[in-house]
Amino acid sequence: MKTNKLRFIVFLLMFSLVAVACGGDTADDAAEAPDTTEAPKETLAAPATTAPPPEVIVVWAEEKVANALDPLVGAYEAAAGVDVEVVVYDFGAIRTDVQTAGPAGEGPDVFLGAHDWVGELAANGVVSPLDLGSVASDLFDVGVTAFSYGGEVYGFPYATEAIAMYYNADLVDSVPTTWEEAKAACDAAGTELCVGAPGGGGGGDAYHNHPFVASAGGYVFASEGGFDASDVGLDNAGALASAEYLDGLVKNGTVASTDYGGSMTAFQEGRSLFWMTGPWARGDASAVNYGVGLIPQFDGNAATPFVGVRGAMVSSFSDKQVLAQSFILDFFATVEVQQAMYESDPRLPATKSLFAVVEAADPVAAVFAASAANGIPMPNIPEMGSVWGPFGDALLIIRDQNYGTNEETGVTVSNASDAMKLAAEQIRNAIAGG
Amino acid sequence: MIYLSMTLSKIFKYTLLAIFNALIVYAVPLALTFESWFFLSLILVIGILVNIVYFTDRFQPMKWILPGMIFMLSFVVFPAVYNTYVSFTNWSTGHILTKTQAIGVLEDRVFTPDDQKGLEFEMYILQDIDLNFYYVANLDSENILFGKAVSDNEIFSTSYATHEPSLFIDGEFSTPDGYYQLSGKEQIANSTTLQELSLVIDKNTRAQLYKISVFGASTGRLTSTSQLYTYDEMNDALFNNATNTLCPVVKDNFECEGKEIEPGWRVYVGGENYSKLFSSQRIRGPLGVVTKWTFQFALLSVIFSFAVGLLLSMILNKDGLKFQRIYRAVFILPYAIPAFVSALVWKGLLNPDYGVINSWLGPLYEMLDIEPVKWLKTKESARSAVLLVNTWLGFPYMFLITTGALQSIPKELIEAAKVDGATGIQSFWRITFPLLMVSISPLLIGSFAFNFNNFTLIFLLSGGGPPIIGSEVSVGWTDILISFTYKLAISGGRGNLFGLASSVTIIIFALVLIISAISFRYTKRLERIYGNI
Repeated sequence: MKTNKLRFIVFLLMFSLVAVACGGDTADDAAEAPDTTEAPKETLAAPATTAPPPEVIVVWAEEKVANALDPLVGAYEAAAGVDVEVVVYDFGAIRTDVQTAGPAGEGPDVFLGAHDWVGELAANGVVSPLDLGSVASDLFDVGVTAFSYGGEVYGFPYATEAIAMYYNADLVDSVPTTWEEAKAACDAAGTELCVGAPGGGGGGDAYHNHPFVASAGGYVFASEGGFDASDVGLDNAGALASAEYLDGLVKNGTVASTDYGGSMTAFQEGRSLFWMTGPWARGDASAVNYGVGLIPQFDGNAATPFVGVRGAMVSSFSDKQVLAQSFILDFFATVEVQQAMYESDPRLPATKSLFAVVEAADPVAAVFAASAANGIPMPNIPEMGSVWGPFGDALLIIRDQNYGTNEETGVTVSNASDAMKLAAEQIRNAIAGG
Repeated sequence: MIYLSMTLSKIFKYTLLAIFNALIVYAVPLALTFESWFFLSLILVIGILVNIVYFTDRFQPMKWILPGMIFMLSFVVFPAVYNTYVSFTNWSTGHILTKTQAIGVLEDRVFTPDDQKGLEFEMYILQDIDLNFYYVANLDSENILFGKAVSDNEIFSTSYATHEPSLFIDGEFSTPDGYYQLSGKEQIANSTTLQELSLVIDKNTRAQLYKISVFGASTGRLTSTSQLYTYDEMNDALFNNATNTLCPVVKDNFECEGKEIEPGWRVYVGGENYSKLFSSQRIRGPLGVVTKWTFQFALLSVIFSFAVGLLLSMILNKDGLKFQRIYRAVFILPYAIPAFVSALVWKGLLNPDYGVINSWLGPLYEMLDIEPVKWLKTKESARSAVLLVNTWLGFPYMFLITTGALQSIPKELIEAAKVDGATGIQSFWRITFPLLMVSISPLLIGSFAFNFNNFTLIFLLSGGGPPIIGSEVSVGWTDILISFTYKLAISGGRGNLFGLASSVTIIIFALVLIISAISFRYTKRLERIYGNI
């Protein structure tokens, strides 16, 4: 029975392999165990530092931010005796992967993301509250509000973003404070279009249209220490009046029916006097000699653009909560790091200390930051997913004057107020049904 | 000697099996720690099967089939079963954790009474000769609190911190005798231990390390001695220690005084997702429009791309055509470019304001005196554009397979028809085309099923738009079922509704299955008719 003996030997061999495979873990455990408790007892000198390997902080960030952060963390690694591992991650994937990798025990300790993820992440229990403490006094309120959800703050805001108004500096000196004056300036300059703003011309865009309905009492969700999904204010008196005012602006040719691409080419070719968009478009705008001012006021109220905020958050599945908090508050929040980040990836500053630095160096950026300070953060609650489509579609109807009856659904939209009421209804239905 | 008789292949086989078994044994405790009973049973069953099959000689055929079966199980059957399972759960934003995980997250929460919120103070960390940790919390000059740092289970048995003004000499902290003060670096090295410790100040309050500073003094904050929520296993409820209320389980959340506590957890909800699809008016309305267009889109895509592909292959199939190979290579090009790249390029080309297509068509518009087409912005233009691009993407494949099929049709048949006096068109429709269909119709069915779920093209080219104005959910004229599902369940509503999305995909799967089954039956009939030629 040679073969049987052979099988027995193979089995024995395999068992020893298996034993080695299993034994590896226990051996490691034994090596890791004596960290602080078994250090030499005779001496009081630095008992803790000798045994344990350095702690590792895993940071997930999108490529630009990671590249900005990577050369900076060396200073912290040296001072704190830790390893900071900055992982380059696709921006959108951070949002989804934090929710799957975290519970599976493989997520980051710290991740950098957008404030409008906060509601979803907090509802799912994957992000920890971050008490900003003394750091908060250096922050613009809009940044802190953006990261607030259910009475807690969930991140350290480091950059904001909001739209303002570009003007063709060869044809006009500044952006007027009222829309009537803007129209008069266009008539004087004799441009084909007056204000090119994305969100018309077939391309729905709630983001760029927000100031048109929210500057005089309208709102997407009521905000009182966190956004309230049960209170949709897109069809309140203020919103309806604003929508009708926008309707007038479209009818008298102040606001052109353009989508993003259309408004861009019009501005670049000098066919429009103004272009309403954000700081990311400075390269595109430089086709003409441009300047930037605040969006004209609505009935004496400052325009309120949607503000996007980026921030650093702590995963609730990190087993190094205190270390992760310390990394953000003691290192990442310092003005030196913020400034170095700004130099490598210029976004509008969210801290007052960095704003002071930027204001002197780049006045245009300061205008955008001032516009953001007037704005309100995009609601960070999960229900916001129901808003973009209906809100953008309703404003598209107004911007394109596309009133009428839909033959398929039988719904009639005969004026701007109807469009806003329809959007508010769609949003309420979606929230109730979802 | 026995082991000398072992051939190289046997050594190879046993090494592979040994590695495999080592992996299995390694995976078992992992599955146990994650309490993943499904994976555990899967691992065990596969492990036992593999060992039985390869260590005995009784199952010779299985030795060949088993690897394929395992791969099919894990990459085809498992995802399908899992998808079905998800469609019967409430998996969505707010309900992505298991109940154990959700309770874990909730029990980690502490609360700070309102009047102590935002209070920050310096903390110093000391260690005595027995390596116990001590905290000094410098709240203010009246409260320089010192005491042993204890873990959560000792909070109610330890003595309270005492006021020790002697620790500060001229406002500078001085380490008392018999203690060692940890530097910031050392605190960080011990941070995982320190974050579990607290300095108990009184019955309700404790100080915890919050921020370790590597340059200055670290910072602490006050929290309650008890955690915010305690899970009460007896009642299966959560006890809120701040308000002293019991929060019972309501379906998939704990509810405190009528308010849902986030996060909730995943539960089995039966057919709820399916009934929502069919009973909710706001979903059912657009579902009709979308389903109709999905069929139109898939069918027209197949017909157009097949027609173009067949025409080209007929033309290029002529014997003695010059540069035949070059032509064929050129026509296959669209197939060689990844579809998502082509879709994005086409999106740029179709842009009504500065796209190439409208600038080329400019003279034509002027000649006919019509408005330029607003590609992708109106219902008709968007639907035509989507079909146009999909035809462009699809015809090379049809061209390839029809070229092959045409060459396999015996020439004698066509010649015989010619002798009998049939015209070119007659011999095409009566002989070539039916014979072509025998071999190609299964591929057409496959192409239909593919286009039925062609998310990439729709998502990247039109994004489903332009919007159907007045519908109750955000949906567009070019949305097909799968992109509608995405809008409904992933990008719209309240975050991600994975359960609902899975239930729609199951319905799509059923639709495709039925259509394919009918078509294949029809194809079989074709084969029976023409198969004996």
